[in-house]
Amino acid sequence: MDPSQPPVENYANPNTCLFHVLFKGAALAFYILSALFFNSFVIIFVVTVLLAALDFWVVKNVSGRILVGLRWWNEINDLGESVWKFESLDQESLARMNKKDSWLFWWTLYLAAAAWLIIGVFSLIRFQADYLLVVGVCLSLNVANIIGFTKCKKDAKKQFQQFASQTIASRFQSTVQSAFTLV
Amino acid sequence: MSHNDTIPLYQSSQSDIDEIENMMNGGLQSGPGTVLPARPPSPIRPSIPVSSSPFVQSNLPPLPPSSSSVPAPPSLPPAVNFGSSEGSKTIGFGSPPNTLTEPVWDTVKRDLSRIVSNLKLVVFPNPNREDPGKALRDWDLWGPFFFIVFLGLTLSWSASVKKSEVFAVAFALLAAGAVILTLNVLLLGGHIIFFQSLSLLGYCLFPLDVGAVICMLKDNVILKMIVVTVTLAWSSWAAYPFMSAAVNPRRKALALYPVFLMYVSVGFLIIAID
Repeated sequence: MDPSQPPVENYANPNTCLFHVLFKGAALAFYILSALFFNSFVIIFVVTVLLAALDFWVVKNVSGRILVGLRWWNEINDLGESVWKFESLDQESLARMNKKDSWLFWWTLYLAAAAWLIIGVFSLIRFQADYLLVVGVCLSLNVANIIGFTKCKKDAKKQFQQFASQTIASRFQSTVQSAFTLV
Repeated sequence: MSHNDTIPLYQSSQSDIDEIENMMNGGLQSGPGTVLPARPPSPIRPSIPVSSSPFVQSNLPPLPPSSSSVPAPPSLPPAVNFGSSEGSKTIGFGSPPNTLTEPVWDTVKRDLSRIVSNLKLVVFPNPNREDPGKALRDWDLWGPFFFIVFLGLTLSWSASVKKSEVFAVAFALLAAGAVILTLNVLLLGGHIIFFQSLSLLGYCLFPLDVGAVICMLKDNVILKMIVVTVTLAWSSWAAYPFMSAAVNPRRKALALYPVFLMYVSVGFLIIAID
């Protein structure tokens, strides 16, 4: 081992990473392999969709929070309007997030969606409408998470930029003011 | 979870965050009294960098409890979100919890209790039905998901042939039906939120679920018809105030009739399965 190399950053939250990948992988694997073992569409449907729903919940509530410090949800305010809320850690903590963790988070999210898309294309080619239903449900759950987290990340960046420009403006103002009072 | 009982329903999403942060901050407990609809986040969560404050607080060292006396920053009231369909705020929350199991279990319990409370609101008689908009304030799609899958499974189990197709048809019919019914209300100029309506229509399937289970257990045709009629009436009664409140009074029938029609068709499915 090269002693001058900095130590490679390990996963900061291996358990969370495991769960993040586990349900996605299980849903995909079950769907693909089930054709070999089960003849019943109902079982395939229910188990796959259940695993996909569990994965959706885990990503949204647990791994999003822990691996990338983001969270999104929808609320209905007092006026009866639907409001999407985004929440993120402050910029320091975001910068301090483990790079491997967030890399894993985003890439598995994208890869899973791409995998379901490919499987969907296969089902479409074979004119299997009922399997297309399963794929459609799983794909929409994945895409919902991707969209939610992407919006959350953009919102966090925007907030930080706003805050940074505000800070610069206020500091500039106070500097100018103190300069004038000294003069 | 006990303090969630005292929080009004429309805040339970907010209480999600509060719970997680309470757990993360250990002893820094913010009681239910501090979870207000006006939502002043910074005093309750000591680690939040507020965009109006000049300094970014690192969220790792917890602030002393005296931070609860700091007045709420003006930048983050929900009033900002009036009139906009997509509002966004940034609130930093505390460092992630050390153990994964504890908060996950609490999140699960919270979601389950939300399902139960939504079910009680929609399907059973209670005073909140007078104000439909407020009742399903924190909609969730887990309940409807379980009910639709359960109904599909029950129908599929009762069927002696073509089980897979029965399940697929039931699921697709219910899911697509809920979406189309919601679009119907929206196109009639009604004011309803898409997911809220999906959630409502899903929860109203609960009586039909019960009916389907009874019909599965007893195979008498007369009994089936009676059971289905009763549960059908119950489902329609459950859906009525929410749907009718959403549209113009002159168009109430136009909005309600398709809902009733869908439940009738599901009822026929239940009776006709052998």
